[in-house]
Amino acid sequence: MRKYTLLTFLVALCALALVLAGPACTTKGSSSTDDKSKIHVGIVFDIGGKDDRSFNAAAWVGVKCAETGKRPDGTPCENKKPLDIVLRDVEPGTPNAIEPAMRAFAERNYDLIIGVGFAQAPIMEQVAKDYPNIRFAIVDGVSELPNVASLVFKEHEGSFLVGMLAAKTTKSDTLGFIGGMDIPLIHRFETGYEEGAHAVNPNIRIIQNYVGVTDSAWNNPGKGKELALSQIGKGADVIFTAAGNSGLGAFDAVEQAGTTPDGRATHFVIGVDSDQNCVKPGFVLTSMVKRVDNAVYQIVLDVVNGQFSGGIHVYGLDKDGVGYAMDQCNQKLVQPEAIQEAEAAKQKITSGQIKVTDAMAK
Amino acid sequence: MGVRGRVPVKSFSRPLTTKSMKDIFTLTLILSTIHLATPLVLAALGGLYSERSGVINIALEGLMLAGAFTAAAVTHYVGNPWVGLLAAIVAGILLASIHAVACISFKADQVVTGTAINILMIGVPAVLSGAFFLSSGSTPQIPKENLIPWTPVILALLLVVATYYILYYTPFGLRLRAVGENPEAADAAGINVKRIRYTGVLISGALAAIGGAYLSIGQSSLFTRNMTSGRGFIALAALIFGKWRPVQTMLACLLFGFADALSTQMQGVIDIPVQFIQMIPYVLTMVVLAGFIGLSRAPRALGIPYQKER
Repeated sequence: MRKYTLLTFLVALCALALVLAGPACTTKGSSSTDDKSKIHVGIVFDIGGKDDRSFNAAAWVGVKCAETGKRPDGTPCENKKPLDIVLRDVEPGTPNAIEPAMRAFAERNYDLIIGVGFAQAPIMEQVAKDYPNIRFAIVDGVSELPNVASLVFKEHEGSFLVGMLAAKTTKSDTLGFIGGMDIPLIHRFETGYEEGAHAVNPNIRIIQNYVGVTDSAWNNPGKGKELALSQIGKGADVIFTAAGNSGLGAFDAVEQAGTTPDGRATHFVIGVDSDQNCVKPGFVLTSMVKRVDNAVYQIVLDVVNGQFSGGIHVYGLDKDGVGYAMDQCNQKLVQPEAIQEAEAAKQKITSGQIKVTDAMAK
Repeated sequence: MGVRGRVPVKSFSRPLTTKSMKDIFTLTLILSTIHLATPLVLAALGGLYSERSGVINIALEGLMLAGAFTAAAVTHYVGNPWVGLLAAIVAGILLASIHAVACISFKADQVVTGTAINILMIGVPAVLSGAFFLSSGSTPQIPKENLIPWTPVILALLLVVATYYILYYTPFGLRLRAVGENPEAADAAGINVKRIRYTGVLISGALAAIGGAYLSIGQSSLFTRNMTSGRGFIALAALIFGKWRPVQTMLACLLFGFADALSTQMQGVIDIPVQFIQMIPYVLTMVVLAGFIGLSRAPRALGIPYQKER
C-alpha cells in the first residue's frame, strides 16, 4: 500500500513536470523542421539570458533577424534580410551548462556556433579545438584559433560619448557608474565613461560601484537598485549602468527619485548594450548601444555567403559598432549642444585625434 | 581566460577620513539595511517554522523564487500588487507542499528534496515566462504605482513579533517546538506530529514566498532569472545564527543586511578593492559565528523523519 502511494506521488510529479515542460516543447515544435540543406546556427547565451533587455537581448535580435527578418517582438529589422537559416538557442542556467550546449551543437554538425559573453571564450577555445571544421563566433571574447571569429567592441569609445552627455546634463557635477561583475571588460566601460566626463569638465566626480564578483552579479536588480540609491544619496544625478539585469534596478531607483514640478526627471540613468531609452521613458538619458545585433547578423551573413573568416572583428565608432542611442523617448532630455559636442568628439575619435584609454589593452 | 588585461590602477586614493566616514554612515545606509534585510527576515522566519517542527528547509531559495515570479507575473496581469502578493503566497504553499509530502509522508531525505526544489525553480519560471511573456525567465516591468515597497517591510516586522508570540505563548507554538525536539514524546502526549510538521512546512512556504515577492514587486519592478541570488541560503544561515529563535534571527538578518549595505556604501568611497569590500558580509558571518554567539543548537529532531510506532 505504502509503495503504491509513493508510486502515485511520483507519477503525479512526472505528470506535473510534463505539463510544465509543455509550453517549451510547443515553442520548439513550431519552428521549422530540420532541413539539412539550410545553414544551421546555434547560439549559446550568457547567464543573463536572452531577455535581459541588454547585452544578450541584442545578440538575440541579431540572430532572430537572420532567421525571420523580424525582431523578437515582431517588428521588422531595418537593413537585415532574413537569411533562411535554422536557428537553435540555448540559455544555460549555470556556467557548467555552457560547454555541453556548445558540444551538442558541434556534434550535430552545425555550420556556425555563436557564444555570447566573455565567460564563454575559454570554453569555446576547448570546443573549437576539438571540432576544427565547424565555425565558431565569440562575442566579447578573443580566441586565436582559425575557426573562431572573435567579435569585439570598442566599448570605451561609446562610453566616452555617453560620459560627455552625462557631464553636460549633470547639475551636481557628480556621476555614477554601476558595473555588473568586476571584470576587465566592464572596466573598459568605466574608464571610457570617466574620460568622456572629464573631457567636458575635469572636476566632475564619478562614483563607481560593482554589483558583485561572481556571475550572479548580472542578475541582481535588488542590489543594483541599492547601489543606485546609495550613489544618489552621495549626489550622483546621472548613473551609467553596465550590469545586465542588475542595471534595471538603477532604472527603478531614478524613477523613485522623482521629477521636478515641470515633469523633468531629477536623476537619469544611462542604459547599456541595447537601446534601453524606452524602458522608463523620461528617466533614461540615453543608452550606450553596443551593436551586438549587427555583429552577430554579419557573421551569420558571412557564413551564408561562404565568406566566414576567423580572427578578430573589431566594432568601434567607425563602423557604428558602438554609439549612443537617440529616439523619441529621450529627445527632450539631451541638450542639442551636448549632441553637437558628442558628434564632434565622435569625429575626432574615429580620426584618431582623441585616444580613449582601453582598460583591457596591455 | 579569453579576457586579457589588468585592473586599471585607480589614480585617486582616498584614505579613511572623517569625511569618507560621513559618506558611509548616512540615512541611506539605514534604509539600505532595511531593504536588504527584509527578504532575509521573511525567508528566515519561514525557515524557522519548518525547522522548529523538525523539517530541514534548504528549499527557501526555491520558495523565494516561486514567490518572486508569481508575484510579478500576477501583478502584471491583474494590475494589483495585493492579488500578486496573495498569489505568491499560494504558490509558495503549493511548492512547499511538495517538500512536505516528500519529507513527512514519504520520509525522503530533507536536504535532497529541498535541493531538488531549488533546482526545479531555476527552470520553472523560465518555462512559464516563455509561455506567458515570450521571454525566457523574466517578466515585463511593473509600473511604479503597482509596487508595494513598504508593506513587506512592515509585514516582516509584525511577523517577527507574531512568531515570537506564537512560538512561546500559544499551544500551537508549544506543539511545534515539541515535535521538533522530541516527536515520540509529543506523539505519546497525543499531538498529531504529521499535521504539525505539515503546518510548519506550509507556513514556511508562505513566508519565503512573501520574501520573494518583496524582491520582485517591492524592491525591484520585475522578475529576472535567479533574482534571489543566494538570499535563501543567507536566510538559512541567519536562522542558524539566530539559534532558531525569532528575535535573534531577525537581528542576524539585520546584521547581514547591514554588512551588505555597508559594502554598498563603502564602494568607491574608500580605496579598497571591491572584492575585499564584498567579502565583508561573509567574513563578518564567520567571525560572529565562530566567536560571539556560542553554541547554536538545532532542534533535536531536525532532519529525522518521524516513524510512528505501530
